[in-house]
Amino acid sequence: MMINFRNITFLVASFSFLISCENKKDSQNPELPAQTETELADGNFPYRNLSTYGFFGGEIKKLRPNPSLIPYQPASSLFTDYALKSRFIQLPEKEQASIEYDSLLLPKGTILIKNFYYPADLSIPEENIRIIETRLLIHGETGWEAFPYIWNDDQNEAVLKVVGGEKEVKFKNLQGEDQVVNYLIPNKNQCKTCHNQSEQLAPIGIKIKHLNNDFDFTNGRQNQLAYWTEKGRLKGFLGKEHHPHLINYEDTSQALADRAMAYLDINCSHCHQANGPASTSGLFLEYDQVEPLKLGIMKTPVAAGNGAGAFDYDIVPGKADESILTYRMNSTEVGIAMPELGRTIVHQEGVALIKKWINSLEK
Amino acid sequence: MKSIHLLFLSIMLLGIISCTSQSNEQTFDSSKLPKASEAEIEKLVEDFIMVEDGGTILVKPLFYDVKTQLILDNKKNIKIQGAGMEQSVISFRNLKTGGEGVKIVGENILIENLSIEDAPGDGIKAQHTDGITFRKINVTWTHGDKSKNGTYAIYPVQCKNVLIDGCIASHSKDAGIYVGQSENIIVKNSLAFGNVAGIEIENCDNAEVFDNVARDNAGGILVFNLPGLPKADGKGTKIYNNEVIDNNHENFATPLGDGPNGNTVTMIPPGSGIVLLAAKEVEIFNNKILRNKTTGLAIASYQITGFPSEAPNWSPYTHDIYVHDNTYERTLKIPDLTRELGQMISVYNAHGKAKTQDIVYDGIWDTNLSSDIESNPMKICIQEAGMDELHFTRFYLMDGEDNIQSFKDYKPFQGCQISISTDVSGLASL
Repeated sequence: MMINFRNITFLVASFSFLISCENKKDSQNPELPAQTETELADGNFPYRNLSTYGFFGGEIKKLRPNPSLIPYQPASSLFTDYALKSRFIQLPEKEQASIEYDSLLLPKGTILIKNFYYPADLSIPEENIRIIETRLLIHGETGWEAFPYIWNDDQNEAVLKVVGGEKEVKFKNLQGEDQVVNYLIPNKNQCKTCHNQSEQLAPIGIKIKHLNNDFDFTNGRQNQLAYWTEKGRLKGFLGKEHHPHLINYEDTSQALADRAMAYLDINCSHCHQANGPASTSGLFLEYDQVEPLKLGIMKTPVAAGNGAGAFDYDIVPGKADESILTYRMNSTEVGIAMPELGRTIVHQEGVALIKKWINSLEK
Repeated sequence: MKSIHLLFLSIMLLGIISCTSQSNEQTFDSSKLPKASEAEIEKLVEDFIMVEDGGTILVKPLFYDVKTQLILDNKKNIKIQGAGMEQSVISFRNLKTGGEGVKIVGENILIENLSIEDAPGDGIKAQHTDGITFRKINVTWTHGDKSKNGTYAIYPVQCKNVLIDGCIASHSKDAGIYVGQSENIIVKNSLAFGNVAGIEIENCDNAEVFDNVARDNAGGILVFNLPGLPKADGKGTKIYNNEVIDNNHENFATPLGDGPNGNTVTMIPPGSGIVLLAAKEVEIFNNKILRNKTTGLAIASYQITGFPSEAPNWSPYTHDIYVHDNTYERTLKIPDLTRELGQMISVYNAHGKAKTQDIVYDGIWDTNLSSDIESNPMKICIQEAGMDELHFTRFYLMDGEDNIQSFKDYKPFQGCQISISTDVSGLASL
């Protein structure tokens, strides 16, 4: 009896082992198309699939926002290898954002949605679009967290990939030249290289100074913060002139110095400021920086290494070609190139703007 | 004061025949290790992202070819453990973006028993971390062409309670072990070789550097305070029981043939043992300072760089320095002629052209404190045995390059004692 019993348990055990192996194999099958996996929208973020959030109605790749999303656009845009971006904010139902002093406070549960895409031809930005990644910034109980979703080639789903990735992208630039970019999707923690305020993850574009300007909403052009207020989603907005507002550096009707500072602010100051990761350098590039040394004027580098090139100072007034700032903006070599992430090619227009500005500074 | 810029064409010519050494030494060959699979690499990247407070990240005895940064973000009580320097190797040779290979932010973090190779920027950087221990890690570059190497190997910055113990840092284009803008620091039992600077303490408070070997760098051990930084100045460093030997490596911080740039380290003349620049409250004792061909010890103020010397809450002067009971040995090699500071020492020292020096002092003083230097206004105290046998030079540079003078007389800097206090007992628990 004893022996028989043992045999039976052994059989049962080995049988269940076989089953569990099979199960395991199935759940790890990488060939399984993402869209056939049903994922429950149970409110436990992050979801594995972007579609589970239900941000976009109809065909997901059209990025048609459902009514709970508000599109937004900062006055100036952070350059990311010429990728175009569409951005949305979802505030939790019945809750409001608020302005207190100089800060835009967003309630827990807020989600920022940023889609990075390339049209086949940058001069026809609405056509032949390929979406590469969607980054979510979710304001959870313990603060903001970043989640990168990578789109599949069929463009019908994007899947969370915390380790990031790499995609080859081809497009025609505004000069009509063919470009190939080895687009790098940052890993989850690399997001914080830029999205960092005193070592807490923080949004970049969602600030008063960036949003206090007009945007083309579907029902007309309007100041973004005024629009939020009108929809009952923001309190504390006193009108455009009562809050800081940046210009678009691309707006050539603006003063050169203002355009340059707007460019440096959106592209550099998230790191290069007293509460940013590049505070180590003592180079602070916010739009309202007035101290010459902090702005880099005749300032020697600290830990620039190869980034210094053959040069002594971050900015030499009147001499853009002898300034470390433009040298690093004009390089694609890792270790030299600035910003450190999101720039595997040179932003020609940005370099031209900053060079023009440095050359205009009095020697 | 006039800026001091020395340009000697004839000496530049001599520079070509002067012999600087170059090292590509590796302590072991990582190419023989088994390679981590894509899944194992992805697991490591994910472990850095997903680890929870109190957790351990294990780095297997494999060669990891990582193409993205490893970032530990705002975590507490984390151990990152390899199977040994020569067993667990993380290579960033194929990293395409990001300023450093490994980045750490958090509280009470330990990284030990592994190697980091070929990061395009810095090897491992820790920032805003209270309690960071680097133990038995090796950070290096394996390119034959050292101009491609990264900036710092081991790089804690804006940290508190930093322990670097039993580490090896080699071939970095700036400093191998660089502690910046931090407080409460121990660097011990470590080896730095083949770097431009071996060990550097910059804008830091309360540091002890002992039982280390700094050899075959361009400069062995540096204590600097640079202007315009959030941590404006630093003070309190003890350097003792170290071997600072044969630091005659070429300065490859800029390409060969190119002059220095704005990075101060590019000015370091090969053959420098210990260099103080705008340093405050430093005690240097019981070190073996041997065969550094330009000078065993250089005491300098920031004005010597020729860069603007004004910044808030910072002083360009080096002061309150106590040097005693060190051992020196000179070489017959010609001092450096590739850098202006090397040229100045070679030509203008007080013991004869092309003679290696044991101790040089630039003699730049704050004239608000005293009208002459004989009263030792910057409190530079030197109490070495057999001073008569040593090559000591004090320069006079206050009139700029047109009137450089030098003096052997060390007596103004003797018979004094400076009490330097450091306290790193709080690091015992790390």
